[in-house]
Amino acid sequence: MRTPVYSALAALAVLGASGTAHAAADGGMPQLNFHDFSPQVVWLVIAFVALYLVMSKAAIPAISDTLDKRQAKIQGDLDAAEKANEETRALVTAYEKRLSDAREEARRLQRERSEADSAAAMTKLAELGQRLGAKIDEAEKRIAGQRSQVLEGIEDMAHDIAADVYAKLAGEPADKAALGAKIALAKGGR
Amino acid sequence: MHSPMEQFEIKRLLDLRIGSLDASYTNSALWMTIAVILATLLFVYGMRQRALVPGRLQAVAELGYEFVAGMVRDNVGSAGKKYFPFILTLFVFILFCNTLGLVPYSFTPTSHIIVTFSMAIVVFVGVTIIGFARHGLHFLEFFVPKGVPAWLLVILVPIEVISYFVRPFSLSIRLFANMLAGHTMLKVFGGFVVMLGILAGWAPLAFIVALTGLELIIAFLQAYVFTILTCLYLNDAIHMSH
Repeated sequence: MRTPVYSALAALAVLGASGTAHAAADGGMPQLNFHDFSPQVVWLVIAFVALYLVMSKAAIPAISDTLDKRQAKIQGDLDAAEKANEETRALVTAYEKRLSDAREEARRLQRERSEADSAAAMTKLAELGQRLGAKIDEAEKRIAGQRSQVLEGIEDMAHDIAADVYAKLAGEPADKAALGAKIALAKGGR
Repeated sequence: MHSPMEQFEIKRLLDLRIGSLDASYTNSALWMTIAVILATLLFVYGMRQRALVPGRLQAVAELGYEFVAGMVRDNVGSAGKKYFPFILTLFVFILFCNTLGLVPYSFTPTSHIIVTFSMAIVVFVGVTIIGFARHGLHFLEFFVPKGVPAWLLVILVPIEVISYFVRPFSLSIRLFANMLAGHTMLKVFGGFVVMLGILAGWAPLAFIVALTGLELIIAFLQAYVFTILTCLYLNDAIHMSH
């Protein structure tokens, strides 16, 4: 302990000093003057009790109240922060869910759309095919009509040519009916 | 030149009597009053706003409160809560008396054995009463260490009893002697400064500056020691721990 060393040093200093300086008036330590004891004790009690009352009635309630309030505030803030954090987490989860839902929905719509598109294209294609088919049919009919017309013309021409050839060969006009029968026979024989 | 002991002399500023009791207002009482007023200013004026974010004075007041509250909590436990106002008052009173004593021309009430002994005897008697009130006559077992052979108790019990009754003396003399020694040293070296004059006086002067710093630490430390020993004695009385 430093205290005994320190006290001894002080006592030495006191001894040394009292050699050079005058000793105290009554030659001893003022601390041992019994006449001074009672006023010190009386005022110690008064001062101590006064301070005790100040401390217990005013200071301690004020401080503990303040500390409690601060603690409550800090705890409240922490709780609020925790709650906000929780809410944020819930919001993020909800957002993510909505996002994935929306993505799913978009994919579904896209799929439906493309399906609808291809169906429409098919219908259009079929329509086009029908229209084209109708045109082709019409064209074929027309071609067939023209061909039969042409063929009829060719028969007439064959009659004329056969009549001419007969007239040139026989020197007399041909019997049209006999010639027609012959031509029909030749045509049938083919 | 004055004696280094002159600073400890009690001067009657106002002669007062309560019956036959001398209750004069002395320089000691004056500085106790100043200590109480300053402590009140710190703890009541400083806490007037009860701010959630404390200002400087409020931070100091709260620091002192928390310091002593921690001391009581750590050394006595929850049972010490009842005695916390007394212990805080004790700490603040001793701390203010000690530190104010370092102001030049001031007086240190705690440099008088009667003052420190009065406080120590209140603590001692109070703690003993608490011990008996809590444990009845079982409190006497405090002087009988457990798990010790019977023949050794013949030696140990008197030692325990003596060490118990020495408590108020060690408690009061420790504080008183520290204050006395420090102030005497300061005064003696102050005398050296005057004696050695301008040529060599700077050496003791430098020493005084350093010593004043040390004294400031001691002023705090002794208030702390007095308070923590009070807490330990209280803990002994409440929990009878050895």
